[in-house]
Amino acid sequence: MEVSINKDGNKTLVKIVGRLDTINVADFEKEITPVMTEPGRDMELDCSQLDYISSSGLRVFLMLQKRVPGAGGKLVLSNMKSEIREVFDMTGFSSIFTIE
Amino acid sequence: MKRVLIIKNEITEISTLVAFIESIGEELGLPPALIMSLNLALEEAVSNIILYAYPKEFDKDISIEAVKENNALIFTITDTGVEFDPTKGGDVDITLTVEDRPIGGLGIFLIKKIMNEVEYKRVDDMNVFTLKKLLE
Repeated sequence: MEVSINKDGNKTLVKIVGRLDTINVADFEKEITPVMTEPGRDMELDCSQLDYISSSGLRVFLMLQKRVPGAGGKLVLSNMKSEIREVFDMTGFSSIFTIE
Repeated sequence: MKRVLIIKNEITEISTLVAFIESIGEELGLPPALIMSLNLALEEAVSNIILYAYPKEFDKDISIEAVKENNALIFTITDTGVEFDPTKGGDVDITLTVEDRPIGGLGIFLIKKIMNEVEYKRVDDMNVFTLKKLLE
């Protein structure tokens, strides 16, 4: 799993490549924590190369959806693969995230 | 088809589990989306055992057996850890707003959503967790 983080104007663009599972979720959290509550900054999670997510990954996403707006920013998930979207649908997460 | 995998109670063993599921999927010619959901259900079940079944103990075994019986794929996960029924819980209210969604509880919820049947038994000193998926 690789994470790349880039700043683009007022938006933080985070791209996740690979699997987000119980093994590597701690690494993802470590990368994302410093940037997740920068006041007023929006965040886009580019999921185009996110191949797999388990409940550990969903937990971190939920945390982001609680924290980013809490700091005044908007969180958007983009380009999600259909298998990942299915997991979001199953868990009701599709209705609590902005998915583009 | 019958395959058995024995892993240790270490989180890195999840990748061994992934390879096991992938090879079963290939052998049976299962569609990728189904392989992924089996992967997800098994990861949820096995990671719970790795994280909680053997508190402070290392080098303990967890066995995962996969059997194809008629049109069903049956996984039986066995461990000798603390007594724990993974089928309890998972009553997740998926209509709650983000503020009210608790962080936990999704693992067993996903298992129950993906698999057709789940069953837990305590046999002697072993937890035996059976997950069954009907194949199209």
